[in-house]
Amino acid sequence: MSVRTVAKQDFLSARRSRALWFATTLFALLAVLIAYGSQGYRLSATEQVQNTFRSFGMVLAVLLPIVALVASYMSIAGERESGGIKFLLSFPNTRRDVFLGKLASRLAVVAAGLTFIFLAATAVAVARHGAFPVGVVLGTYLVSLLYGSVFVAVAVALSSAVGARSRAIGAAVGSYFVLIVLYLVPTIRITALVQWVHDTMLGMEPNPHLYDAVTYTSPYIAFRKALNLVLPTEMQQEVFRGSLEAGGELPVYLTDEFSLVVFAVWLTVPLVVGYVRFEGSDLE
Amino acid sequence: MATIETTGLTKSFGDVHAVEDLDLTVEEGEIFGFLGPNGAGKSTTINLLLDFIRPTSGNIEVLGIDAQERPAAVRRRVGVLPEGFGFDDPLLGREYLEWAIETKEADDDPDELIDLVGLTGDADRLAADYSTGMQQRLAFAMALAGDPDLLILDEPSTGLDPNGIQNMREIVREQAERGTTVFFSSHHLAEVEAVCDRVGVMNEGELVAVDTIEGLRESAGGPATIQLECATPPTELGVADLDVVTDVAVDERTLSVTCTGASAKVDVVTHVAERAEIVDILSESVSLEALFNDLTDGGRDGDDADSEQAATEVAQ
Repeated sequence: MSVRTVAKQDFLSARRSRALWFATTLFALLAVLIAYGSQGYRLSATEQVQNTFRSFGMVLAVLLPIVALVASYMSIAGERESGGIKFLLSFPNTRRDVFLGKLASRLAVVAAGLTFIFLAATAVAVARHGAFPVGVVLGTYLVSLLYGSVFVAVAVALSSAVGARSRAIGAAVGSYFVLIVLYLVPTIRITALVQWVHDTMLGMEPNPHLYDAVTYTSPYIAFRKALNLVLPTEMQQEVFRGSLEAGGELPVYLTDEFSLVVFAVWLTVPLVVGYVRFEGSDLE
Repeated sequence: MATIETTGLTKSFGDVHAVEDLDLTVEEGEIFGFLGPNGAGKSTTINLLLDFIRPTSGNIEVLGIDAQERPAAVRRRVGVLPEGFGFDDPLLGREYLEWAIETKEADDDPDELIDLVGLTGDADRLAADYSTGMQQRLAFAMALAGDPDLLILDEPSTGLDPNGIQNMREIVREQAERGTTVFFSSHHLAEVEAVCDRVGVMNEGELVAVDTIEGLRESAGGPATIQLECATPPTELGVADLDVVTDVAVDERTLSVTCTGASAKVDVVTHVAERAEIVDILSESVSLEALFNDLTDGGRDGDDADSEQAATEVAQ
């Protein structure tokens, strides 16, 4: 099993990376601060903790992709730049082994970091409010794992498709911008843009569901929708206001459950494209 | 069965033919020196053998296995010292080596390999902190893991001190004696001369010569010089009249003859011996360096005046 030996070596060196420990510790401190400081108005103990994890989820939505991208963007590009890839491939490893081994290792790194962060946050929140709403805590954790994995997959795929550090950085920053920032900055409204193109430029009938469906391609939006699956009804966010105002039942592709499909697509398509490119390229 | 066999192997990067129509055969058990100036296509060929890069056309078989179709099967039986590797991960020298042994599914003793390459006492340091020469030694130990059937060494002496080079040569010879085929790329002539059974010379992507070193010397064009010390001043022996002789000089009792090739020297000696008493013979063989320069047109520096001089230099 060469995938295992590649992953094992990679994980061992990641474990010794000071930068990763630093980032994880910082993130854990932030989580602890949120867990300690979060104080809702007139909430029961259980609701307090649930509310804490709801806020925590909002922070993760923005920061977790950064951690996952930073942890993974050099995974293969770095080896290609340093010549380490020649070492990996001088031994009985195929390119598939290297690709999957790196992916597995970086998934494990991010999962381990996330687990550490959640343990810290949970311990503080439970100690402070004296309640442990298992469903919300565990649910948020699992959805976050999925969300983090999406960005590890994207970063490893990009990393395998480019040959140099500088391009890997560019690709990672670019993907964060396109997948998160565009949907995060309040004044950039993707729905409005789509609406303008669809209605004004193409002159078609208004279709609010379509505008929202376009924004649903972002894993950031998908994460916020997925959190609704694990939060109690009164704490859920209405992500697609436009479709809501239009009234009627939400189509299947705009439901909270559909976020899992969005995640699945992000988890597979970039990896397949990245792998095919990596498999066919000259590694010098 | 040949250990390495390429047929019509071509690799182009855009308009540049890094390797062109290469037919290379390396036999089992030999130490094959792969020689050429920078940019001649040596590394490209090695990268092709190991499937780091894909050929534009042509076939490659290593140990009878198609290098493109089953690269992992090739790598299982080959030990590689790649050029331009990196030890960037925060891992100890020993850990790198253990990883190599594990990946090869071998049962080597890491300490034995560490001693073999002269890294005793440094195995438990971070490989990233090693000097270039020490990294080269570690890489060499990793290449030796799993007792490979073929060793591919790309510029192996890079960064090594003279002791390190000596040690590496000995290991290479030992490996060859045990039946390992060694494929050895270098622009170091002395190195190739010292260890290789056969040499292939690359120039501008093409294989311009393949032969034993003796054979190459034999076929080397260019003038050969011989000095004969005679009992009496060797004048009027008619040496200059021989067809193979291009120049004759007499200095007291020493006759210096320049002739067309190495084999012509015998004619000169025979001719003189019949007419005078020879006290001593000083024959200068054509060096591999002169040969190398000849074959590669002086490499990248072919236009320099220096190479002209180097081409006519002779070894002791």
